[in-house]
Amino acid sequence: MSTNVLLPGFREAPLDEDFEEFYINMGPQHPSTHGALRLVLRLDGEKIIEVVPHLGYIHRGMEKQAEKLNYIQYIMMSDRQDYLTAIQNNLGVCLALEKGTKIGVPERAEYIRVILAELSRIASHLVFYACFGGDLGGQTVLLYGFKEREMIHDIFEEVTGSRLTTNFFRPGGSNKDIPDTFVPRVKALLKHLESALSDYDRLLTKNIAAMDRSVGVGVLSKEDAIAYGCSGPVLRASGVSYDVRKNDPYSIYASLDFKVPVFYNGDCYDRYLIRFEEMYESIKIIKQCIDKIPSGPYRSKEKPIFKLPNGSFYAATETAKGLYGTYVVSTGGNSPYRIHTRSPSFGNLAALNTMAKGQRLSDLVTILATIDPVIPEIDR
Amino acid sequence: MGIMPFIPKILDPVPGGKTIVNMVDYVVNWARANSLWPLTYGTSCCAIEMMSSSMARYDIARFGSEVFRDSPRQADLFIIAGTITKRMAPAVQMLWEQIPGPKYSIAMGACTISGGPFRYDNYAVVRGAEQVIPVDVFIPGCPPRPEALFHGLLKLREKIMKESSRNPWKEGALSESEERNRYKEAAAAWAELEKIKDEEMAIAREQFKSNPPENYVPYKAIRVQKETFPDIPLKENLQVGKSTESLFEIAKKYSPEIQIHTENNEILHLSVSKEQYFSLVESLKKDSEMNLDYLIDVTAVDYENHFELVAQLMSITLGHKVFIHVDLLKENVPEETKDNALLASVSSLVPLYPAAEFKEREVFEMFGIHFESHPDLRHLFLDEDFKGFPLRKDFKHPHIIPKPV
Ligand code: SF4
Repeated sequence: MSTNVLLPGFREAPLDEDFEEFYINMGPQHPSTHGALRLVLRLDGEKIIEVVPHLGYIHRGMEKQAEKLNYIQYIMMSDRQDYLTAIQNNLGVCLALEKGTKIGVPERAEYIRVILAELSRIASHLVFYACFGGDLGGQTVLLYGFKEREMIHDIFEEVTGSRLTTNFFRPGGSNKDIPDTFVPRVKALLKHLESALSDYDRLLTKNIAAMDRSVGVGVLSKEDAIAYGCSGPVLRASGVSYDVRKNDPYSIYASLDFKVPVFYNGDCYDRYLIRFEEMYESIKIIKQCIDKIPSGPYRSKEKPIFKLPNGSFYAATETAKGLYGTYVVSTGGNSPYRIHTRSPSFGNLAALNTMAKGQRLSDLVTILATIDPVIPEIDR
Repeated sequence: MGIMPFIPKILDPVPGGKTIVNMVDYVVNWARANSLWPLTYGTSCCAIEMMSSSMARYDIARFGSEVFRDSPRQADLFIIAGTITKRMAPAVQMLWEQIPGPKYSIAMGACTISGGPFRYDNYAVVRGAEQVIPVDVFIPGCPPRPEALFHGLLKLREKIMKESSRNPWKEGALSESEERNRYKEAAAAWAELEKIKDEEMAIAREQFKSNPPENYVPYKAIRVQKETFPDIPLKENLQVGKSTESLFEIAKKYSPEIQIHTENNEILHLSVSKEQYFSLVESLKKDSEMNLDYLIDVTAVDYENHFELVAQLMSITLGHKVFIHVDLLKENVPEETKDNALLASVSSLVPLYPAAEFKEREVFEMFGIHFESHPDLRHLFLDEDFKGFPLRKDFKHPHIIPKPV
């Protein structure tokens, strides 16, 4: 392709005539784009000059459709945004609805919420671990990561009735109470998880091949991370300590003792390490909660017709991917006038070009894996 | 065991006698059915269940399908896992055409059957995979469990085993019309049967009532105790960062006319005019006490006569949030061109926050609001030639079918 023609979206000035510059299309069906993401790359040999994401291949028009659904039905939509952390998305939507209606949550429900949300964080990070290993070429890692995740999903299935799309929380608590077997099962899982995680740590963390491909690759500076609106592990791996659970606490996170891991290099390796640390912190949180689940009601009083008063309401939660915000505008009806999701992967993906610039083509796969995007959440 | 037990299955009587060809057919089918290589393709939630089914616990290798191929040219099974959007449909079609025959497809999940949760009131989702490519097996569920996928795989095997030289593999047909008329006939026949059944039941009930059997005790429903839940007031969140009053005082320094949009003690909602929008955000970002260095989101709401643009800002170091609302009056344009015309314009925040670039593109395509000095104002999620602006209240699209009530 002529060096002087820039495809839409590309901005860097054309290189000198003697550079071999060309474009490559990646996706929307590509094994390492984690679903329906399409990237157009501008390359100089193996080196990436610029990346332009083309989104919308899984744009399902959720926000428009939500205007026809009522509020409780919308909770189901949030499952299908980031299906790896469906339960945390449920929580995010419910918090926003509770702000609007001033419905409170009984103590027992708060504990249920926190335990399930943290379990889901571990499950999501395990998928990250698996895919990261898989994208680096380690098929074994891919198989292992999914093993413990299945155990977590067994618990979800017992509690919510579904493995993936949980649709469990409601404004004022949860849909159902937890079964009696919940506490012993979670305890058994935690015991198993700790030994499993240390095995996985040994398998990949100090693996020379994994380190070679991730240390110093895809560096994102602190300033860029903030400017591009990154959140979650991507932001914290660049040295910014912001976690909604700590800095803007919701539910009972303020009363729990946990650390927010922060790393300072901002490369792929740090983004990998931080998720590992977060899994240990999540285990710590669940341990604090599991013995203290109080008895009592699991939800507060239901309204026959759920309506929000006039106005706009906003709530943020920290999902495994980052800051998940729900902005609801109501005109008093029983379906939202406008509901908008601020999805964490969207912000994180915006920094892709900055991370990938100057890296080699094969590194892009590593970078994408450590951003850990879920495309339906971006496209909505 | 040998081949003997299978012989009757293989040899079916044909005019001209039993031939060895059937035997060859059997072997070919057996080979085909037991090593279906799927294409790595998944768009959304169902894809994760497809992944699980190939991992340790469920192990799709037991069924000979563990070799997930990244290239369609090496695959012979297309598991359509996840929603197909209108933008994705051409890619799906192209992938299918690139798979060499004989090839088979499994439609996994409600979305690929009928559009699933996105069937009604939706402008973006294709209602069923069969409108794009031919499908051999449908698996219901949202998402189907891995076991269900295996069941589908076994059904597909049965189908393959029925192929022969007289009934060779051929590409199936697409569903004829978008609303699937052929199912309507089946549904009508079904309704007819139901009606007959209802009538018969009514007669039987009458007979039962007029002539009840001896020692018949009428059924009495037991009232299930309804659970009662307490009424609990909402706990106020802890205040983070500066109080909204002090933030408002700071903001007032830069433009005295600004007002509070909504009273809220967690987030400062400011209402500002279109002209002052950019300069206010700029000075609030620079102000060391305010320090709004993080853009959470930019979004908009459509009202009858105006758009409301909402810029959600935060200070990542101090923790407080400020939401800035800008009312943008809709321009007057002729009624016919209104649907496709940009109705308002406002300055872009990209020079201050690079994060705004994608988000403003989303607002641009969804509402038709123009952003001045935006570096790359193109459609983001929708096709370049998409007509209309979906999140406007008066948006109409030929693809939408409203939900029947
Ligand atoms: S059927 Fe359900 S789980 Fe599967 S892609 Fe559609 S919405 Fe997601």
